[in-house]
Amino acid sequence: MSDPVVEVRGLGIHYRLQSRSRMGIKKLLSQGLGGQVPTIWALRDVDLTCHEGEVVGVIGPNGAGKSTLCLALSGILEPDEGTAKIRGHVSTLLTLGAGFNRELSGRDNILLNAAFLGIPRKQALDRMERIVEFADLGEFIDQPIRFYSNGMRSRLGFAIATAMDPEILVLDEVLSVGDRTFRQKSRLRIGEMMDRSKLIVIVSHATAFLRVVCTHVLWLEKGRVRGYGKASEILDAYEEEMGAVDPAIDESEV
Amino acid sequence: MNSTWPNILSRRDLIRELTLSELRSRSAETRLGWVWWLVDPLIMMLIYWGVVVGIFGRGQSYTPYPVFILCALLPWKHFQSGLTHASKVLRNNEGLIKSIAFPTMILPLTNVIAGFAYFLFGLVVLIAAALFFELPIGASVIQLPALMAFQLLLVTSFSLVVTSFGALIRDLSGFLTHVLRVGFYFSPTLYGVDMVRERVAEGALGDSAWAEWIPTLYMLNPFAILIHGYRQALFFGGWLEPRWWGVLAAEAIVLFVIGQAVYRYFDRRVIKFL
Repeated sequence: MSDPVVEVRGLGIHYRLQSRSRMGIKKLLSQGLGGQVPTIWALRDVDLTCHEGEVVGVIGPNGAGKSTLCLALSGILEPDEGTAKIRGHVSTLLTLGAGFNRELSGRDNILLNAAFLGIPRKQALDRMERIVEFADLGEFIDQPIRFYSNGMRSRLGFAIATAMDPEILVLDEVLSVGDRTFRQKSRLRIGEMMDRSKLIVIVSHATAFLRVVCTHVLWLEKGRVRGYGKASEILDAYEEEMGAVDPAIDESEV
Repeated sequence: MNSTWPNILSRRDLIRELTLSELRSRSAETRLGWVWWLVDPLIMMLIYWGVVVGIFGRGQSYTPYPVFILCALLPWKHFQSGLTHASKVLRNNEGLIKSIAFPTMILPLTNVIAGFAYFLFGLVVLIAAALFFELPIGASVIQLPALMAFQLLLVTSFSLVVTSFGALIRDLSGFLTHVLRVGFYFSPTLYGVDMVRERVAEGALGDSAWAEWIPTLYMLNPFAILIHGYRQALFFGGWLEPRWWGVLAAEAIVLFVIGQAVYRYFDRRVIKFL
């Protein structure tokens, strides 16, 4: 078997529990020089190994460290402890439409956002029509983004982020975008992307959805790994502990 | 993705795209659009001319004063607006930084480049004014590219430091306004460097050894040299002394090395503070 795509060993990430506005220059300097301040571990002692072709779901209650794990896998945050080795180019869908410029048109923003995601300009221009068509915003595409509704903005963000072929895709609860029709369309698109990428990591509370798409599931609780293994086994244990989920709620969170 | 130079240079596409959108969006909001970039320096020039010459009746030794003052206002404006933006740039882009992995140093760098584009438009106005007043400029303008290069290094260095600390200390942007104001009056903006020597000689220290030293210490401010250089190039039609070129180059390079080291030290750590 080839090297694992993701190799996380003893990963720990902490945040400082200090109000920045009340932090004096003296404290700041001592922190910068490695002084001690009260911290909270968002993740601690996390081990995770993922191989090519897997789809890994991440579950856990709020504050379990799911989003922090996404930030670490995407290379946005560096480990404070342990290591996180990622083999391949990571594309993230953590917040849709981050990096949009409100004053520019949808088309200009497609080019800008593509540049943020590391798509060369030429490739972005080639895919422009596909993105415009998928976002389906009509003549709004030539209007400044500030005239868009939240839903429209997310649709455009989703269309751009999924227009490329990612090697490793990290999704943080972004599948609940837009109206029902668009949600169905975006699920199909995610399905297509799954076929083309090496590894997908999905954070979601929608266990029914995870049961369908995931091969493995990671269960986090208070920053530590509660369980990791075959999707059905972990999800069974999780649902048993959390109590049965109302299918109506589950559907809306997908 | 850390802000190492290879990482940053590999994202040239992003730097270009971001600079263009920054410029496009600033002009898209207004009716006059990019014409403002020419009107802005013109208005600044007229205001200072009106106040200093018209109201206070000063500046006769620096005629034509509009050209004299604009030589200082343009680089200072680049510096000032660069730093003001820098103190808030990471916080304003929090969502972006926490969603996409990219070398964040691109944000302050883009900011400096966009400001430099405004500077260039101002320079067009400045050169037009110098020609209009028939100033004795000629070969001295070949000093401009070097002056602009050192200006870019200086504004970048200070911006990088202010960007990091701006994210760590929220009050910095309020504090910065006052520091910049002091810096403006302590630099040879409204007056020329010759006036420093003159005032010291007239004052209480006139006879002491300080009389020699104060003007030299004053010139260690890189912006004093820079502004004096622009005036040599476009106002007096003279040459900046070699020793000041040396000091300016040394200061710009040392500050740049420090500035980028400070930024890279705080690079990823700063994200948790946003």
